[in-house]
Amino acid sequence: MTITRAWMMLLVLSTASTALAASGMHGAPFVVAVLALAGAKAHIILARYLGLAAAPSILAGFDLSLAVVLILFMGLALAA
Amino acid sequence: MTEQAGERPSVLDQLPGELMMWVLIVSELLVFGAGLAAFLAVRITDPAGFSEAQSHLHRAGAGVNTIVLVTSGWLAAHAVCAAEAGRARRLRGLIAGAIALGAVFLVLKGMEYADLAAAGISFETHAFFTFSYLLTGFHAAHVVAGMVLLAVVAVPASPRAVETGAAFWHMVDLVWVLLFPVIYLL
Repeated sequence: MTITRAWMMLLVLSTASTALAASGMHGAPFVVAVLALAGAKAHIILARYLGLAAAPSILAGFDLSLAVVLILFMGLALAA
Repeated sequence: MTEQAGERPSVLDQLPGELMMWVLIVSELLVFGAGLAAFLAVRITDPAGFSEAQSHLHRAGAGVNTIVLVTSGWLAAHAVCAAEAGRARRLRGLIAGAIALGAVFLVLKGMEYADLAAAGISFETHAFFTFSYLLTGFHAAHVVAGMVLLAVVAVPASPRAVETGAAFWHMVDLVWVLLFPVIYLL
């Protein structure tokens, strides 16, 4: 994925997050969808903008940590 | 045996750019991650109050700011390529664009703060605002620091310096994509 393609993906994912919020969707599906989109954006920034695509084992470590944090966020958001 | 072990490349050698910048990036992610987790934990005690408070924020403006920051990051990433190609003039133009978009982000954030202040909303109005001001304010301070850092690394225009400055800028971007949904959308 080129830097420009990564940027375009980020634009699409960012627009999708805002569109989801504007759609009136709520509850668990909304929480999971919005945080999954955030995780996808974070992965692209790590892989392409920060260059970790060239270091797959380190990128996998970041992705795993990110997934744990986002699952924690989901749990806390759904507990409210 | 010892010599072979000494020659084995460390996984850290794969990291692009400066190791210390990565230490900073991980540290910042931990700090913001803890702050966001604390925000969500306190939200459990008053979900209705948090939801009402959240309605005072500029959700659309924050969405635009996400576009602004990821576009700024795109310019910074291209600036690194320009630095590696020895195209100093192009990299300075790209860095100037990234800094300008950083300024746009701050203006939009400032407009939101001004509207909240005009509505009489402060740090102490509700726990939601205590967290949102702290987290978004701390992030905005990093945007300012990133703009200064980008301006500084554009002077020598060496690939190493530009890569380090851009990495800090991408960290600011990364924090925002995690902060935006938690503070503005959930």
